[in-house]
Amino acid sequence: MQERDRGGMSRRQLLGIGGSLGLMTAAGFSTAAVLGTRPASTSAQLISRVPLPSPYTVPLPIPAVLKPVNTAGGVDRYELTQREVRTQILPGVSSRLWTYDGTFPGPTIEARRGRPVTIEHSNELPVPTVVHLHGGHTPASSDGYPTDLVLPRGWSDVGSSDEDASSGMHDMSDMHGMTGMDAMSGMHDPRAVVTRLHREYTYPSQQRPTQLWYHDHRMDFTAPAIWRGLAGMHIIRDDNEQNLGLPAGDRELALMITDRAFAADGDLAYPALDPTLKGRPGVEERYVGGVFGDVILVNGAPWPVHEVDAARYRLRILNASNARQYNLEAITDDGRKLNLVQIGADQGLLATPVTLSAVPIAPAERYDVVIDFTGIPIGSRVRLVNTLGSGHTRDVMAFRVARAATDDSRIPHTLATDLPMWQRSDASAVRDFAFRAGRMGSGQGWLIDGKPFDPDRPDVTTALGDVEVWRLIADADHPVHLHLVGFRILTRNGHEPLPHDTGLKDTVSLRPGEAVEIITRFEGWSGRYLFHCHNAEHEDMGMMANLELA
Amino acid sequence: MTTIRASGTRTWASGWVFRVVVTLHLLAVIAQPVFAGVYLSGDFDALGWHEMGANIVTGFGYAQLIVAIVAFVRLRVRWALPMSIGVAVAETLQYYVGEHGPLWLHIPLGVAIVVALVMQFVTVWRRSIAKQESGDAGA
Repeated sequence: MQERDRGGMSRRQLLGIGGSLGLMTAAGFSTAAVLGTRPASTSAQLISRVPLPSPYTVPLPIPAVLKPVNTAGGVDRYELTQREVRTQILPGVSSRLWTYDGTFPGPTIEARRGRPVTIEHSNELPVPTVVHLHGGHTPASSDGYPTDLVLPRGWSDVGSSDEDASSGMHDMSDMHGMTGMDAMSGMHDPRAVVTRLHREYTYPSQQRPTQLWYHDHRMDFTAPAIWRGLAGMHIIRDDNEQNLGLPAGDRELALMITDRAFAADGDLAYPALDPTLKGRPGVEERYVGGVFGDVILVNGAPWPVHEVDAARYRLRILNASNARQYNLEAITDDGRKLNLVQIGADQGLLATPVTLSAVPIAPAERYDVVIDFTGIPIGSRVRLVNTLGSGHTRDVMAFRVARAATDDSRIPHTLATDLPMWQRSDASAVRDFAFRAGRMGSGQGWLIDGKPFDPDRPDVTTALGDVEVWRLIADADHPVHLHLVGFRILTRNGHEPLPHDTGLKDTVSLRPGEAVEIITRFEGWSGRYLFHCHNAEHEDMGMMANLELA
Repeated sequence: MTTIRASGTRTWASGWVFRVVVTLHLLAVIAQPVFAGVYLSGDFDALGWHEMGANIVTGFGYAQLIVAIVAFVRLRVRWALPMSIGVAVAETLQYYVGEHGPLWLHIPLGVAIVVALVMQFVTVWRRSIAKQESGDAGA
């Protein structure tokens, strides 16, 4: 009877089989626990080959505000030159950078709402460039579509340099295991508007005051171009915002956070397959998920420190890293966590402040927060740390409270009343998009709905003025960005959005397996725009799609 | 006595209930990776199905546990209880993990739950679930 009840097994067999199964299960879970990245991250980290400075020794740089060359006719005209420079990021180490006007970050553009800005960009780099104003409500002709190239001197039109004319159209068949460059480099886009040496971009500045940023958006090479330094901040202001009484002047700090790594010769390290960035796009296979650096730069300085008054400060935080996510906490020397009061999102002020104990920020997102140093002992520090980092990538920057000071700033309970209130019932379409890994040609790529980017394929066509609900699903970390419009987050994983999801956004961070629903109205100008993952490596490897407004 | 004669050959009513619950439980569990796959392929609605499926699966998990307790108390069938406790605990953990996101645990745990239920399904349909005279039976 006992034998039968065990399914004809002896006690010995039963113990053997049961024990083996238990062992296999335990081994499976342990392997998952060891190999699984916690917290989840989609990328691989480069290691610097030069000595790195101690954190909190280098002063925080404040990028210069660019002066207009002309303000006639109510339009602020600027000129910027994209050029390579040698400069010091790490103390005593000379690094070659690609810059806007010789600095990294590029100079800050200060715009007034309702006052158009034009920027004449000159390309003195060895490669084509494209400038995109991230978060800008911009006509398609100035939005920096990836094939709207500004060619450098001596570059032929077909997407390759004169001296290496064949490299843009190489034989794809032998590219295995690399990123999906196949269809893209040298792909002919009949709608591309290509210029030589110069291009004027026009920004109407008819949008809510907020912190935008400009960066390179060249087809296939956005990630290495941003990595080399092609990024700067662009801030739109208006009287309403200025009259709120928020911390201002020296007590408003725009912080561009990036991670980088340095090669033995002092240059920035980047695992590009073609370090000239002229021919073959893509990165070494190990970095297909995204490139992390081991040095955290704020406004281009490694782990900087900034002297502050014991008062409220407005921090306008931009994550301009290619792939790295941060979960920022402000911690005093005695280990106390300071609240970060969120007052704005990607697309401007929130309706009302939200008190956060940590600010999670994915690539290209901006968080506008107020931190209060009142009561912090003079001479002590408040560190901004990234709880997703480890070792020195946990450190970001520090504030040294230098002096007591009066503070007449305030955080009004009502910050803005102009936030759009689109309702689900207004939506004329509901669309689902899956952001996931996949095969692209012969290599690993990143796909939207199973397809790699093709400039020629309209993925979404919608009418100007239409409200739509988009449901985005991610297999890994994908910060999803829509050009032209701001959106609101309706749900995250089928539930209420998180506290920091509030306000008007243009980039939403999806963690592995997550889904969000967003709602927006497509308004502005007709033409060809983009939506894409803002993990810069993912976007170079296919994770973009066309948004055609008719 | 009838009960002694039936031992090992006849399955009692609560035994049949147990078999049906385990069977439905298995069906519900098998649907979960299906919904997850459809969801990750880009169908947002499947997230809702996966969540509803999780509710149903854990519901069956607890129902199975209750029937196992009844079988233990009334029929003195002991073997059904530990496996039902095990799967109910695993599913409760899985529900929490699913809500909070660590996929490194969610996916292997899901696979393990499916495997465990397949084994339990085979067990409940092969073994008799009848009243046991004393504590040593059915161990």
